[in-house]
Amino acid sequence: MTGAVLRAGAWPAVAGVSGAAVVVGGCGAAFPAAATLLLPICFTLLAAAAAFTLDEPASLVVDVTPTGPVRRTGIRAVALLAPLAAGTLVLLAAAVRGLALPWASVGLALLGNVLFGFAAACVVRTRTGEPGAAAGTAVVLVLMAPSLVPQVARFVRTFPAPGAGGLSPDTVWWTVLAVCAVAITVSVGGRNLPPWISTVPISRRRRSYPTVQPP
Amino acid sequence: MTTTLTFGPPATSPGRATFTALAIRETRRLVLNPVFLFAVAFIVFALWAGPGTGQTEIDTFNPYPAIFLGGFGMMATYWLTRSMRGSEPVVGVTPVTRPARTAALCAVALVPFACGCLALLRFVQLIPVSSPLYGPFSPSARVAVLVGQIVIPALGGPLLGVALGRWVRFPGAAFVLFLLLYGWVSVVTILSMSHANSALVAVLRLFAPFAFFTSTDSGVGVTAWRGSPWFFIGWQLALCAIAILVALLRGAEGRVRTRIIRALGIAGVAALILLVLAALGGFTHPLTA
Repeated sequence: MTGAVLRAGAWPAVAGVSGAAVVVGGCGAAFPAAATLLLPICFTLLAAAAAFTLDEPASLVVDVTPTGPVRRTGIRAVALLAPLAAGTLVLLAAAVRGLALPWASVGLALLGNVLFGFAAACVVRTRTGEPGAAAGTAVVLVLMAPSLVPQVARFVRTFPAPGAGGLSPDTVWWTVLAVCAVAITVSVGGRNLPPWISTVPISRRRRSYPTVQPP
Repeated sequence: MTTTLTFGPPATSPGRATFTALAIRETRRLVLNPVFLFAVAFIVFALWAGPGTGQTEIDTFNPYPAIFLGGFGMMATYWLTRSMRGSEPVVGVTPVTRPARTAALCAVALVPFACGCLALLRFVQLIPVSSPLYGPFSPSARVAVLVGQIVIPALGGPLLGVALGRWVRFPGAAFVLFLLLYGWVSVVTILSMSHANSALVAVLRLFAPFAFFTSTDSGVGVTAWRGSPWFFIGWQLALCAIAILVALLRGAEGRVRTRIIRALGIAGVAALILLVLAALGGFTHPLTA
């Protein structure tokens, strides 16, 4: 059963986006001057890759099987190893190239990014069978905000690069990890969700289905 | 012999009427897209607030329209194009061909283009063309720099989104491409700072849908990099034409397909020539003013 659930995962999407992240991160390792710009982009791509791990095209069938969401999500979480491995590879390459970065903080940022993407996917999965695109886009927009809008970077820093102002990245990522743990627990458990979130992805416009009457 | 006189509005081509109706419908969908609305709202806020005091160069402010109208516009039009995939079996049997529907989708790019034009006018109002922040460029070249950085990306991004949506099935393709382009522009800009004299680096910097033309060194002076802003606009317009043609190619058949492929070849050659001219034209070495 574990093998079947894993095989059904969106592996091309997870592997493809992780591959793009390795390319970007590799360029960051190759050009140390651009590392503080490219590594955040690499981590954002890894977060987006994590958002695709829960994609399930056959969700209408899978969601009513006896296998519960906790077990299914747990098995699918194995796919997070792909973005985590890709990120570790990039960090190793950067270390080999002699980049001077606070490695513990960078590792925490990598873990936080991947878990943030996964948590977003868990939350969106309660509404749709294929949360990857929506969750991935939302994650990218949120994580890139400090890079795209300097005003945001004054308040929040998501990558441990030298710079003044804003919350320290460690504080940000520890907070994000705690919030993600709660979000994953609540969304996978399917309890205490807000009333506007349904546990089964049925269109809000169509709550009932036509039944065939016997002749 | 009898003559029948008909009264009423002049007859319009049914193809054109269908195209107009489709274009209006797609435009309405774009302007209601939350990503596009957010992008426009941010640009309006940024332009209303202004660049603030103590600005030493224009480059801290002018990438916003390219990022938000071009980049976010690309994501919005990508979704717009992809959203019709589910209904393709139904839409595919209507009398309207897929290239006609694609052309209607491409027409929505006029909305972000118009927003880009308004952003340019506001930018020029905030930082007049006569300002020393533009560096040693002539007044006409300064306008070309702004058009290439503010207006054309706002047109090209959404067109790229349509082409991507027509050809790529992966739902996250738009944001992956956005991040890759952002990373590429960042890398070549950083390279240009350390290798300002290199012709190869100039080509790499201009081999993008957006490029910076100036840099500043802690307010000492504004340095203009190699490259011609006017030819860069030509390169960007050639990229726009390529995006439209690639989008139209999907589903085109017979003579139309042959014509599109021929036009694509011509646009590709033109783009290459304009890129070389953009890299070789303008200042042949960095100039500080």
